Amino acid sequence: MSDTTETEENEAPKIVLPDDTPVDLQKELRLSNVQEVLDQLDKELIGLKPVKTRIRETAALLLVDRVRNKMDLSASSPTLHMSFTGNPGTGKTTVALRMAEILHRLDYVRTGQLVTVTRDDLVGQYIGHTAPKTKDVIKKAMGGVLFIDEAYYLYKPENERDYGAESIEILLQVMENNRDDLVVVLAGYKDKMDTFFYSNPGMRSRIAHHIGFPDYSAEELMAIAKLMLAEQNYRLSEEAAKALFEYTKRRMTMIHFANARSVRNALDRARLRQANRLFNSAGKAVTKVDLMTIEAEDILASRVFQEGSLDLDGDEGADVEPVVES
Amino acid sequence: MMTNYGNRVTQGQFSFLPDLTDEEITAQIKYALDNKWAVNVEYSDDPHPRNTYWEMYGMPMFDMEDPAGILMEINECRKTFPNCYIRVMASDATRGTESVKMSYIVNRPSVEPGFNLVREERNSRSQGYTILPYACNKPEGERS
Amino acid sequence: MADNEVKGKERYKSGVISYKSMGYWQPDYEPINTDVIAMFRLVPAKGVDPEEVAAGVAGESSTATWTVVWTDRLTACELYRAKCYKCDLVPNTGPGTETEAQYFIYIAYDMDLFEPGSIANVTASIIGNVFGMKALKSLRLEDMHFPVAYLKTFDGPATGIIVERERMDKFGRPLLGATTKPKLGLSGRNYGRVVYEALKGGLDFVKDDENINSQPFMHWRDRFLYCMEAVNKASAATGEIKGHYLNVTAATMDQMIERAEFAKELGSVIIMIDLVIGYTAIQSMAKWCRANDMILHLHRAGNSTYSRQKNHGMNFRVICQWMRMAGVDHIHAGTVVGKLEGDPAMIHGFYDVLRETKNEVNLENGIFLEQDWASMNKVMPVASGGIHAGQMHQLIHHLGEDVVLQFGGGTIGHPQGIQAGATANRVALEVMIQARNEGRDYLAEGPEILQKAAKTCAPLKAALDTWKDITFNYESTDTADFVPSATTSN
Repeated sequence: MSDTTETEENEAPKIVLPDDTPVDLQKELRLSNVQEVLDQLDKELIGLKPVKTRIRETAALLLVDRVRNKMDLSASSPTLHMSFTGNPGTGKTTVALRMAEILHRLDYVRTGQLVTVTRDDLVGQYIGHTAPKTKDVIKKAMGGVLFIDEAYYLYKPENERDYGAESIEILLQVMENNRDDLVVVLAGYKDKMDTFFYSNPGMRSRIAHHIGFPDYSAEELMAIAKLMLAEQNYRLSEEAAKALFEYTKRRMTMIHFANARSVRNALDRARLRQANRLFNSAGKAVTKVDLMTIEAEDILASRVFQEGSLDLDGDEGADVEPVVES
Repeated sequence: MMTNYGNRVTQGQFSFLPDLTDEEITAQIKYALDNKWAVNVEYSDDPHPRNTYWEMYGMPMFDMEDPAGILMEINECRKTFPNCYIRVMASDATRGTESVKMSYIVNRPSVEPGFNLVREERNSRSQGYTILPYACNKPEGERS
Repeated sequence: MADNEVKGKERYKSGVISYKSMGYWQPDYEPINTDVIAMFRLVPAKGVDPEEVAAGVAGESSTATWTVVWTDRLTACELYRAKCYKCDLVPNTGPGTETEAQYFIYIAYDMDLFEPGSIANVTASIIGNVFGMKALKSLRLEDMHFPVAYLKTFDGPATGIIVERERMDKFGRPLLGATTKPKLGLSGRNYGRVVYEALKGGLDFVKDDENINSQPFMHWRDRFLYCMEAVNKASAATGEIKGHYLNVTAATMDQMIERAEFAKELGSVIIMIDLVIGYTAIQSMAKWCRANDMILHLHRAGNSTYSRQKNHGMNFRVICQWMRMAGVDHIHAGTVVGKLEGDPAMIHGFYDVLRETKNEVNLENGIFLEQDWASMNKVMPVASGGIHAGQMHQLIHHLGEDVVLQFGGGTIGHPQGIQAGATANRVALEVMIQARNEGRDYLAEGPEILQKAAKTCAPLKAALDTWKDITFNYESTDTADFVPSATTSN
């Protein structure tokens, strides 16, 4: 057997493209179908201008990188790990889902799946418990995006024997060695995240994209409320809309405010009150319109108006711990 | 040294082919995952053909989406037991099968000494046969 | 009820009336879930009403005789009477075609007409008398359906595909075998040589041929002893479990049991019988194998005498059904590409009956009646006869992975020797399974995949060069009556 001719046959011929080779980025964008995901993001998320801009920029960077790669201009695969910082209810999980989709369409990850975990999924309670737990999560997330919510809880400086450090160690290894297999997104409050990165320079140096999620304005929250209600075939009466706007403004100043999630909770309770109201109005004929309409009284009954405080048995802020985004 | 084709134990699906590369192993794992089979990694220093229960390197991996995690496990097993036989198996839980669907070797000891065939004389020309792996001459734990 | 059925007192008046009027023709009858159903292809004798012959077949295969008998009235005769409920003209036969009219007739039998767990009894009824009736010109049993309640009276295969694989420690690829050649004449010592070489080279099984029993040139005990020496030596040389189908076929049941016991004593994992020993002997051997952890290989010797012609006899698929119930673990079921009879669609039908947990109606593959196999073990089909390594892609495409591929000539006839022949087959098999799993279009790329593997495997290269394009392209006699409308079959 002539081995030499063999290898020559198998080696791809080296073609160096001329410097003026034309590049059609629009065509690349079309082929990747990324625009579709960006449009979807625009539609399903109100506001968040800076976030959307960052996502768009990131997508553009990755697309260009891909084209450069095709022309042999890239030296190595780019670091894609990210951090999403912001208060609860600002759309971090939703954006992560779309990000996974974008990375998938650009062939940076193979499956486009998003696996969402918190400290409890990664860190065990006994010696030898943590490594298998973390590895198990990593294996399941391979080929996609691993979203670690409130990532800073992995690091507990007050307890030097905390097993979280072991988990971080394994994550760091994978983030470095399996860059083609897994993208890690760390998420949480901005200030806590900053502290976390300060004490874990290894993590900080492996994160390429930091994206901050601002709080919503009262107007944006109103728009979100309307979108949520429309999805469930409800609507606000004119008076109710005013009441909700007032409610939102008050609620934003109170503790445990969780942006879109607080709005969703308020609407859930309003629906409950609406149902009660309809039920107690025995004798009066109820119409389809009644079933669909939230009235001002359904909102004004909230403790936020009554006492200017939160109701601890089911109303706002029942959770004493910070609200966990899920 | 073994004198058969390849001078090696030929258990598993691909023992007559050149050792599988990581890329080729990934393709086989993908086939298993596409079929919704659970994949597990096993190792042993005893290649006796009827040694059914090799040691499990961790539990079977269920609900996996991508082969990379399993390849990572294989490579860790190789690092931990470089001189053992390591095989990858896939299990199908479908009714009517509920058994192994794939089994292939991904690591071998550097030397494969083979087997001793021991004959036992019985009545009227019958022979009793026992196969002893040379690899198992030493006690467990002192072999590699 | 048929219009012309005679009811009440008139029905049992002494004398001769038509089978139809005796109640064996019931076009409105709907089979119930305790009915065994048989489907025949019927050519009536010249000028005879097809429905009357169909009723005759129903009658003669169940309770009827040629004349009315009063003793019928001592029984629940309406239950026991088989009912022909459908009589359809076969497509492309009859007026306007070149073929004389044929009919597909469907007959329902209450399952209490058959002894539980007895293939002999089923066959005595279904194919016992009716094939010689003067009123018909020819008859072929095409398909059967057994209710789960009756199926459960059979043990089925003792081992089955799943357990055979676990016992042999061989997964995810077809098994490889070969039949020792020449079929006749080798001494025990020389015979064992062939077995050893083939197993060491990479085959999983070697096989006795159907007509190797105990002849002047080789006593059966010699064969068993030398073959087991070969099997164990090959096992030690490869680290794999190996086997040789020791044919225990003999003149009497006692002799067969004696030979099977000896095979067991020597540690064989598998024994073999021929179809010609008969259904009772097959079931007896299956029970023996179940009691002794033995895989049972069945060679279908003789089947073509009655299964090959399309107009008379029986479809081989029904034999497959009966043999799964009788409890064999292996059965020869065709190769598609080899030297023996076999239309691809028909062979897919045989394989489905042997290997599926449920058969849906599939007219293209000749499956007319649905069959739920009720967790009965699956039978491993064996593909044997005129196949070689160069056809590996086609074999895997047509036959799948749960099959024994037997390369007799394709192993022993290899120019570099038997070991090299076996190695060529094993390398071809493994590289093709690898390509299939990788998602490649291995059927189209097959020859290329084999050529590439041959570059690092001299035995495979020699095999490919020797048998380059050997195929057996003759027209099949047993073909489907229904073809998918979008494409044409050749």
